[in-house]
Amino acid sequence: MKGLRDTSLLFNRYGLQMLRNPVWLFVGISTPVLYLVLFTPLLNHLPLTGSEAGHAIDVFLPGILALQAFASGTGPGFNTIFEMKAGVTERLRVTPASRLSLLLGPVLFGTVAMFAFDILLVAVGAAFGFNINYGGLGILAVLLGLLLISMASFSIALAIVTKDISSFASVVTGLNLPVLLLAGVLLPISLGPEWLRVLAHFNPLYYLVVASRSLANGDLATSATWEAFAVLVPLCIVALAWATRVFRRAVA
Amino acid sequence: MTIDDVIVAIGLHKTFMVRGKEIPAVRGIDFAVQKGEICGFLGPNGAGKTTTLRMLTTLLPIDSGQARVAGLDVAREATRVRERTGYVSQLGGADELATGRENLVLQGRLYGGAKAEVARRVEEVLTVLDLAGIADRRAKTYSGGQRRRLDVALGIVHQPQVLFLDEPSTGLDPQNRVHLWEYVQKLRDGGTTIFLTTHYLEEADALCDRVMIVDHGRVVADGAPRELKREVSGDSVVLSFRPNDNGLQRALNMVNTLGFVREAAAKGEQLHLYVEDGTKALPELIRQLDAEGVGITAINLAEPSLDDVFLTKTGRSLRDASPAPTAEEEAA
Repeated sequence: MKGLRDTSLLFNRYGLQMLRNPVWLFVGISTPVLYLVLFTPLLNHLPLTGSEAGHAIDVFLPGILALQAFASGTGPGFNTIFEMKAGVTERLRVTPASRLSLLLGPVLFGTVAMFAFDILLVAVGAAFGFNINYGGLGILAVLLGLLLISMASFSIALAIVTKDISSFASVVTGLNLPVLLLAGVLLPISLGPEWLRVLAHFNPLYYLVVASRSLANGDLATSATWEAFAVLVPLCIVALAWATRVFRRAVA
Repeated sequence: MTIDDVIVAIGLHKTFMVRGKEIPAVRGIDFAVQKGEICGFLGPNGAGKTTTLRMLTTLLPIDSGQARVAGLDVAREATRVRERTGYVSQLGGADELATGRENLVLQGRLYGGAKAEVARRVEEVLTVLDLAGIADRRAKTYSGGQRRRLDVALGIVHQPQVLFLDEPSTGLDPQNRVHLWEYVQKLRDGGTTIFLTTHYLEEADALCDRVMIVDHGRVVADGAPRELKREVSGDSVVLSFRPNDNGLQRALNMVNTLGFVREAAAKGEQLHLYVEDGTKALPELIRQLDAEGVGITAINLAEPSLDDVFLTKTGRSLRDASPAPTAEEEAA
């Protein structure tokens, strides 16, 4: 009960900080829309096959949703470092608030914020001709939530371990490029050579992207969906377990 | 250790690992603080003040030793210790994008207060710290002094029995510093026990009922400022020299041969002497220096300060004590 109350207080606190940060709001809204507006025209001329075949925006938009989950998931760690440096973390730690709520408050707000931006993106996409399948998007939302919670926990824990913005940022940007390229969001993996396609199977985001396309297409019970759950559920458990461990040790 | 002891430390130790090397930060600190005291840890940077404070406030695990705060064991009853204590770090840590009132309400709620009770208490705290007029402005817009008062308000919103302040007046101008001291004294008069760290002699002297001088992770002196200064018996004489004729060194060599000089130490460009009776020592001192041909530009006779206490206990001046980064800062 107390944990729930503390989590909701810290959820609101984090939300207030974010919503009063106009830059965050602006970038959060404009980035996915820009992807859509600038990138979709390029895709219209690509020869797409298999799960990637179809109307360009129907292929591309689900991938952007997956990318959003990954990218916004890496964000909270930057804030963690800022809060450690500014003494905010200590101010919260000296209260009797539940330790887990200190981690969950920001993670859950991140999840809600992502869904808000996702809904906006889908609405804009619909205007561009994106075909909405509610059942598929509903299941996709669960998968997106799993990836976001995994990434946000990982990001916060990594921030606590690295402690300074430059090492944290190096790890995050170092991770970004291979993960994004090997996920087939911007360019279809099917265009690449065999070794690239094999390598992609080691990338959790790849499974989410593949599943997102079939789900958005209305194919609900494909092997792609099961594979995505089989990868993301354990990933989420491992990330949360690690983050809780790091958190407990740091903020005992 | 009596029933009135609100803070008790027994054999506290803390060692940090920095790049595979063990760096002891606190090496055996014992003390007890009574209810209603303003007690200060005075010492240079890196002396172990903040580390001790962070152990007492449950922020840092204790390596060995025991700490009791507000009647509770810090290691075993951390959550309950947090309920009864307040802590204001050097950085403060208010949310800049939230208003003063929003910051305080959140803090009060995190301490477990019910909505109505917190709202009432927040009004009280805003009044006590003279923040009522700016309560609905974002903390970002506050001046240094206002900001520091908000930090203190965040530490007392749940009416703690003990308030820990880490370097409370760092970064404040002299006028705001004196104001802050008045607020802290008001809190003490209201029954809160206050434990603070400082490296300002003036702060320890003016604000604290009791001062513990800390150096290299140990308490080297403990008492009311007046008592501590009285222990440095005799008077202190400060000599300044003409530049460029090595006067300081020659004078130091000379005074060490004089029987009435108890201690002599160079502090910067000046020579500090401790003598039994200043009025008798001065004429003799001037005569001797003159005979040696050492030119002096100023000579001052003064009662001992807390810096003199520090000097006699550690052989160094607090003002000169190296501001080496603390092990904790390095480890962080």
